[in-house]
This record gives sequence, structure tokens and C-alpha cells, in this order.
Amino acid sequence: MINIIKIAWRNLLRYTRRSLLTSFMIAAGVTLVIIFSGVGNSFKNEIVGVITNSNVGDIQIHKKGYVGSIDNLPLDIAFSGNGLKRIEGLLDSNPEIKSYSERIRFGAMASNFAQTTNMRLTAVYPEKESQTCPALVKRIKEGDANPDTFVKPGSVVIPQNIATGMNLKVGNDIVLIATNKDGSVNGMTFKISGISENIMGPQGKDGYIHIKDAQSLLRIEDGEITEIALKLHNFDKLSKTYAALKNELMQIQKEKTGKPSFEIHTWEELVPFSTIAKIITLLIMVVRVVLFFIVLISILNVMMMSVYERIGEIGTIASIGTLPSKILALFLTEGVTLGFFSAIGGNLAGIVILMIINAAKFNFRFGDARTEFILAPQIPITEISLSIVFVVVISVLASLQPALKASRMEPVEALRHV
Amino acid sequence: MELIHLENVKKDYVIGEVKVPALKGINLSINAGRFISFVGPSGSGKTTLLNLIGCLDKPTEGKVFVTGVEVNKMDRKISAKFRGDHIGFIFQNFNLIPVLTVYENIEYPLIMVQNIPLEKRKQKINDLLAKVGMTQQRNKYPAQLSGGQKQRVAVARALVTEPKLVLADEPTANLDHDTAYKVIGLMHEMKKEFNTTFIFATHDSKIVGEAEVLYTMEDGLIIKVQENKRNGEAN
Repeated sequence: MINIIKIAWRNLLRYTRRSLLTSFMIAAGVTLVIIFSGVGNSFKNEIVGVITNSNVGDIQIHKKGYVGSIDNLPLDIAFSGNGLKRIEGLLDSNPEIKSYSERIRFGAMASNFAQTTNMRLTAVYPEKESQTCPALVKRIKEGDANPDTFVKPGSVVIPQNIATGMNLKVGNDIVLIATNKDGSVNGMTFKISGISENIMGPQGKDGYIHIKDAQSLLRIEDGEITEIALKLHNFDKLSKTYAALKNELMQIQKEKTGKPSFEIHTWEELVPFSTIAKIITLLIMVVRVVLFFIVLISILNVMMMSVYERIGEIGTIASIGTLPSKILALFLTEGVTLGFFSAIGGNLAGIVILMIINAAKFNFRFGDARTEFILAPQIPITEISLSIVFVVVISVLASLQPALKASRMEPVEALRHV
Repeated sequence: MELIHLENVKKDYVIGEVKVPALKGINLSINAGRFISFVGPSGSGKTTLLNLIGCLDKPTEGKVFVTGVEVNKMDRKISAKFRGDHIGFIFQNFNLIPVLTVYENIEYPLIMVQNIPLEKRKQKINDLLAKVGMTQQRNKYPAQLSGGQKQRVAVARALVTEPKLVLADEPTANLDHDTAYKVIGLMHEMKKEFNTTFIFATHDSKIVGEAEVLYTMEDGLIIKVQENKRNGEAN
């Protein structure tokens, strides 16, 4: 085999310019895949990280039917009593779950005594919410951003654009008026303890209050909640943990109907950005497909030319007794060697470029958001390994037809070829 | 001992829709250890006959026996193995592998065909390099050699597997007079040393003069067999 590789390598060097040009094309394709994968995944992971760490959590559990009505933030589709205790028991015993945060989400009117606007409120236990969404407090740009106390009873964190629109500052009072589950309306005065910005900038109408205040405002007496957000120890185990939890939750049935009482969703099912994440994944696939054709056509072309130019030589080696299988191996090895070293070169170039991007620390932000995202592409080890395997496999496929042609040549006809 | 035996061998080529007979019924026996030459004008069937004896082609009719084996019934793989084990080839254009050095060209059949261990390979190649006078050029590539040197390497490559038979198609056609004589002399020496049968297809009077038996061909038939008593006993 070493001799076959040696001959293949020398044959590649024999047509140096052609081999280099082909190698450059393949390497450029591989580099493109590595850079695109590194940057694309970095962008995706950065945004997903912000979304899950500051707002959504990795997984959410609701009472059955809640997500279908989520735009209305219904209070009557809620956990309570034994059901809640059983879920909390499940979550406490699951080693994959780092933390979870109970929430009550509801709509309310916010008034500064002169103007009124609508708000979407999430009532939380601040310490549990900070453990589940650790980046949340980073969005609080003014006021108390302590993870354990960012919403104390009697205080509210309001979104930046409402603060700006209603000329509200930290320390001001606002009245929150909400419709209770039974249809009655209640209002309470809150002190603004913080002003937060949305993930994508000073937009949105999401505010936070303490869960005990929500229970008072909404006249909830039996500890009901509408949502549980979960944070996992290892985000990479999302699918596995989700499936296991779903299975366990499905065991908890409604006593009367026998149907599942709860629903569970990953962040992907709850956030529109998951579509963008899928598009990024799709784009990486498209780049891979482009690479596939670059490698296929380049190697096929080079190997076909190589076989055509060396028909006489093939006749010689066949006539002196080289078995057809060895002639096949010679040409296959030539194609694979070209592909392999091109893939290595492309990967090295890709890694160097990613390291440069990392060193340059490119930042980006959405709109007027003050939160900067750092483009910090990781070296995609899986992608690198895959690209080498991918290129080698395509090189084999592309070399197969020319190599078969070479191995099937009749020596007497090949020797006659001028 | 009979090395080659041909029985009523015919070979037709089909060009377009026209059938062109290249050999029209050859009967022939050649003993081992001879220096044989086929002569005749272009198109007389010399190369076709060599191709059939060398298992590179199959006859349209008839039987070809080499070392007692009916080679026209072999498939491609067995035929390739048979060539590698029993037959050496020397070509008009030398046909050395351009990416291999002199040493590696001679080594090629031992590695790729016969799978001979390294130490034995080294010894055989060094011996042959010395015999063909190419030891100094062992690391040169074919492009760095003269025509005569290339043909010396080709002779060494043909003999390195110790074949019973060496087939040479116009081996001196691209060599000058002196070099051609040297190469023929070398082949003579090799024949004596290894008791190898050399069969040439040639126009070259130098080879014709050196052959032990001269087969003259015309229009696909052997029309004359001459023995050259100066060079050896006729078959």
C-alpha cells in the first residue's frame, strides 16, 4: 500500500499545476464550510444562549392547552395543588436539571397616573429565575440588577420603551391593573426597581414582578402558576432530557379523561428565532452540498484527464502483470490522496481564519440594543472531522469511474494508444 | 523443452464493418532458451503474434500454449498474473514509468506483481543494475536518461522477475547503431545467464543477424523459417 501511495503521490506531483489548482479549489470549498460552520454556529449559539439564558429557559412546562393560547396569557390554564407538587418532585429528582423557575404570566395595564399602556408581566421568584435565566439581570440597564433581589415584593421591572414613552424612572410609582381569573379587575401600586431592555433592543413590553405580588394582584390563593422554565446542566443533552421528561409527564394523566395533563416544549418550539437557527443550519448544508459538487467535479475531471493521458502507461503496467485490482487501487489512491490533502489544507486555512476572527473580537448588536454579541466562532471539531471524511468519500466516488476505466483497459489496446 | 506452441492460430480485427485478418493460421513451436526473431514488413502480423504469445490478446481461432498452459482460455486476472510470473516485455518506446527512478522501475514488478521481500528485491535489482551497467544511474528518472540507457533499464525490468520468456517488439527501433548493438549484446548475455527465451518482432537487420531462428512473416503467415547456425541450433 505504501508503494501505491508513493506512486499516486508522485503522479500528482507530475502534473503540479493541475494538482495544485484542483487542490486549491477543494481546499477553498472546505475552508468555506469550516468558516461558515464556525461563524454560523457561533452566531446561532450566541443568540440561542441569550434567548434561553435571559428569557425562555431551555425547556418550559405548561398545563395542557396553554401554549395554544399563549398570546392571551390565560390564567385559567394553570398548575396547582398535587399536579404542581408532582412536577416539582420530578424536576427535583432529575439530575440533568440545573434549576427551574415557576412563573405566572399575565397581561396588565400600567398607568403612571397620566397615561396608561398595556404590559406583559412575568411574575417570578427572583433567585430561582436568576438561576434559570442567568442573563436576565444583564438586561436590566438601570436600577437593581442583583440576581437575588431584582424584583422585591412591591417593585416592578419595566421595559425600556415603556419607561421612555411614559417618562418613567427608577423609583417612580406605577399602577398595574389586571383582570383576575374570575373576571374581576384589581390594581396595585408598584415602585419601579429596574428598567430592562429586550434581547433585540429597547422594544417589547415585558416586565417582571415578584410572584407573591402577582398572587395578590390576581387574587390567587392556592399557589397557582402558569409556567415552569427549566435550565439544564448541559444544553447539548436538551433532546434527550426533553424526551425523558416528556415521557415522565405523560404518565401523569387527568384522572377523569385519562389524557395527559401537561405539555412540555423546548425553546425551539416557543421562539421564532428557532426558524432562523434552522435556516443557518440549512445554509451550512447548502455550503456542504456546494463543496460536494466542487470535490466531485474537480476530482472526476482531474482523474479522467489523468487516465486519458496515461493510457499507454496503463498498458505498460498491465502488460507486465499488474492486476486490474491494483490498477484500480492506484488511481483511487491518487484521487483520495488529492482529496485528503486538499481537505487537510482547507481545514488548516479555515482554522487559521477562525482564529483570526476570534482574535479580532468582532462585535455586533441588534438595532439600538446595548447588549453586544461577540462573534467568537469555536473551531468546529466535528465539522473538521466530517469534512475530511466527506471529501475522502466523495474523492473515492469521483475517482471510481476513471479508476474502473483504467483497470478494465485491455493492455493490448492501451499499448496501441498514442 | 517446448516453451511455446501455437496451433492454427488466427486473428481477425474488425475495423468498422470490415474484418481484417491479421494472422491466417499460424502453427509454431519454440523451445526454451532460444533467441528468436520474427521479421517482415509492417502489417505482416509480427506484433499481433507477439501479443498472442504474451497473453495480451486472444486469438480469433486456434490455441496458444505457453509453458504448457493454454493461455487463450485465461481471464484478465489470471492472464495478468501469468504474464507477471512468466513473461517479460521490452517495448520500442521503452515504456518506463516516468515517476519512478531507474531502481524503482526495475523494482516495480517485484513489488506490484510478485510481492518479493525487500532484502531479496535489493539484491536482485543491484545485481541486474550492475549487469546492465546502470548502477550509477539508479536514482535517475527516465527523463534524465538516454535512449540506450532507458532500454537497458527496460531489459533489466523485463528480466528482474526471472521470466521464462521475454518478448521484445522493435526493441532497437529508437536506438542508434552502436547503442542497438550494445542492447542486443546485453540481451544475449542475459539469455545465456538466465536461459531466458527472447522473441523479437523487428525490421532491424542487427537483430536479424543475431537471431538463432528467423521467422519471416507476410500477410499473416510464416512464409520462411531460417536457422542461423552461427548463433545456435535451429528449432
